[in-house]
Amino acid sequence: MTLHRIALFVLAAATALPAGSAPKSITLPPDGVQLKASALPGYAKAQASCVACHSAEYMQYQPPTAARPYWDAMVKRMKTVFKAPVPDEDMPLIVDYLVKTYGNEQPK
Amino acid sequence: MSAPQSPRRRALIAGGAGLLAAPTVLAQGTAFTHAFANGGRRLVAYPEKRPLIVLTSRPPQLETPFEIFNEGLITPNDAFFVRYHNAGIPTAIDADTHQIKISGNAVGKPFALSMAELKSQFKPVEITAVNQCSGNGRGLFNPRVTGGQLANGAMGNARWLGVPLKDVLARAEPKNTARQVTFNGLDEALFGGGDFVKSLDVAHAMDGEVMLAWQMNGADIPFLNGYPVKLIVPGWYGTYWVKHLSEIEVIDSVYEGFWMKPAYRIPDNDCACVEPGTAPAATRPIGRFNVRSFITSVADGARVPAGAPLAVRGIAFDGGQGIREVAFSTDGGASWRGATLGEDLGRYSFREFRFGFTPAAGQHDLRVRAWNRSGQSQPMEALWQPAGYMRNVVESVRITAA
Repeated sequence: MTLHRIALFVLAAATALPAGSAPKSITLPPDGVQLKASALPGYAKAQASCVACHSAEYMQYQPPTAARPYWDAMVKRMKTVFKAPVPDEDMPLIVDYLVKTYGNEQPK
Repeated sequence: MSAPQSPRRRALIAGGAGLLAAPTVLAQGTAFTHAFANGGRRLVAYPEKRPLIVLTSRPPQLETPFEIFNEGLITPNDAFFVRYHNAGIPTAIDADTHQIKISGNAVGKPFALSMAELKSQFKPVEITAVNQCSGNGRGLFNPRVTGGQLANGAMGNARWLGVPLKDVLARAEPKNTARQVTFNGLDEALFGGGDFVKSLDVAHAMDGEVMLAWQMNGADIPFLNGYPVKLIVPGWYGTYWVKHLSEIEVIDSVYEGFWMKPAYRIPDNDCACVEPGTAPAATRPIGRFNVRSFITSVADGARVPAGAPLAVRGIAFDGGQGIREVAFSTDGGASWRGATLGEDLGRYSFREFRFGFTPAAGQHDLRVRAWNRSGQSQPMEALWQPAGYMRNVVESVRITAA
């Protein structure tokens, strides 16, 4: 697109809006926490599949009593309900990382 | 990092109704710890908000620091809690082009409404009503339950200006087959599954109290609270108060999307509770608030002077009957006396209560318990349910006088 055509396009877009119209916009702060680093193979999988959509407080702030069935149900929910493209073979690895990093299988 | 204090932010704070004194503004980046295991949090200022307790960064879930509830019966807009479900939240909205589409298989005349039409073609009403997250206080459950680990800061009280949903729906000419009304907003699930859609029975939607609001405490609703228009469901949990409202459908069936079933369900029995650690036999959608009351003027663990009169105040609310009575105990519930109720801002509002006593040296376990006009009250021992909704136990504030 030439500069001239861009200018025309912007002008056309501006005139299509009611006078004085200005969308209200916000800029959100960056994530406050990151996934905890781990040697477990699920760490990289969780980075690829989980925090693409949501920040890591969802995991980090769970009660330390959260047991494997909870983490398993959450990972399955992300795929079945929310259609997150989590590879099937990654799911057990992610669950294992989550319960051992944030749940009741954390090293004492 | 310092708290951003743009002129605009100061203007918003100054415009907040009900401020009696300089507002509590905790510093950005302040560490904060809830009174439960793994309760460490950070305070961060999100757009149009003072630093609030971050439950999640993305999508934003923000909790109000509890001391703010002691500053007035109205919760300032920039301190009001935020709760999103899906990560695809809007970051730019043009209110001049925003539309609410009203349709569905049980209306005769589907139509679309601009904000200008919403504001000019119906008779506005204003109501003061508490909005409270279903999971307010979830982190305090014992045994612990999974989910958003909130203390009691996921509630707030505001004046909402808008129009009755009933008047808007009437224009669409609902059919006799109408059973429910569904509500959708601009927030989206990133991969298309689990869009946040809620439903109400048609009789509830048409009760004249459920409304479409564009103002909160005399100002535009903050972006993160649902700008430019939000569904207000007085007395009902915040899950129904759909933000950035864009689609309303009147349907001839019971809507059972994920956020109505299996999410946001409570045990289908009188107490909405089960034995801790067990699952309910049957569930129903969460509905009205139960009765709650909180001391706000003194915090658990506080030290006060012995032998000096102590003025205590707090707030009580329920699902819309209105608060009839608040009793207080200074001895852990062994004996009770009546507190004095304050100004009545309406039956959906926070209601102030006050009492005084002169603590002798030593420990004192302060408790308050409210009753609504139907005689419903709060349990002395916490009820339990697996999703961690509807906590309303008589809270304990232990202070030491010395």
